Amino acid sequence: MSGQKPNVFMPALIGGAVAGILSGIPLVNCLCCLWIIGGAILASYLAAKDSPVSLKAGDGAVIGAFTGIFAAFVRLFLSLPFRNTEVALFRKIMERMSEYAPEVPSEWKDMFSFGSGPISLAGILLGLFISAAIYAVLGALGGIIGMALFGKKPAPPGEGTKIEIPQDPGHRQS
Amino acid sequence: MIKNRILLVYLATLVGILAWLGAIALAPYLKSRGIPLERFLYFCFSPVCHQIPGRSFSLFGYPMAVCARCLGIYSGFLAGLGLYPLLRGLARARLPRMKTFLALSLPIVVDTAGNLFGLWASTNVLRLATGILWGSVLPFYFVTGLAELALRGRKRIE
Repeated sequence: MSGQKPNVFMPALIGGAVAGILSGIPLVNCLCCLWIIGGAILASYLAAKDSPVSLKAGDGAVIGAFTGIFAAFVRLFLSLPFRNTEVALFRKIMERMSEYAPEVPSEWKDMFSFGSGPISLAGILLGLFISAAIYAVLGALGGIIGMALFGKKPAPPGEGTKIEIPQDPGHRQS
Repeated sequence: MIKNRILLVYLATLVGILAWLGAIALAPYLKSRGIPLERFLYFCFSPVCHQIPGRSFSLFGYPMAVCARCLGIYSGFLAGLGLYPLLRGLARARLPRMKTFLALSLPIVVDTAGNLFGLWASTNVLRLATGILWGSVLPFYFVTGLAELALRGRKRIE
């Protein structure tokens, strides 16, 4: 980043909304952490597209981390109405598993019941905090990958011969 | 000083991924011992994984806290982190070539798409293998990006 701060908010909001929606809908959320990484890559793309200068991996990390936090909020609001559906879906999967594999222990059926009881505000806040922290890390990773893909800008016409002196010889990207 | 910053990011990432993998294995162990903390651990991993038992490896008689593909990604991340100092060194932060990233991403993309569209049903071993391949390239981005950010912060302080 050449002295100019990239627009973090809007790309992170859009990327976070996409990632949060996709990771909050039952069945669609089967891609696990890949939606968060994908949302952060999208956010990096949007930030790089709007930026007049090349953005670096560190910018991607910041944009991606915010994307992850936004995604955690979106996922929370979306997962509340889908909560019962998801629990029912999981129970159905376990029942089908028991049919095809009788050796499946019966106690597996109630394995993931921590979040399936009555909703409390403390539980919601704890879940939000945990998912925001994890998504921020995964988002940072996605943001860095996104910046590696889309962060570099071609030199504007007339500046083709300009040689940029790196601030730190050990700090250049390949 | 640059090396110290990269080393610090590297070590923090190493501690983080070891704790992460440890918690994935700890959940079924606690479950097998009847220790209630297991429910919290499974809950912690639920935002990042569907946790379908049929798609997860079992440990101590119970499914691990994440599916086989996620386990592969995190194990691959640890393997890549082990290779990082040998392949990149800790004296400078450099992103890997995009060709490397795309080549290591292709198997997981093809396998996931095939499963998603019902073209085939992969085994958990294949899911693990494609996850390991993809996960192994990720620390080369993660450590480099955070190190670049840390170095930038240092310059601002100076």
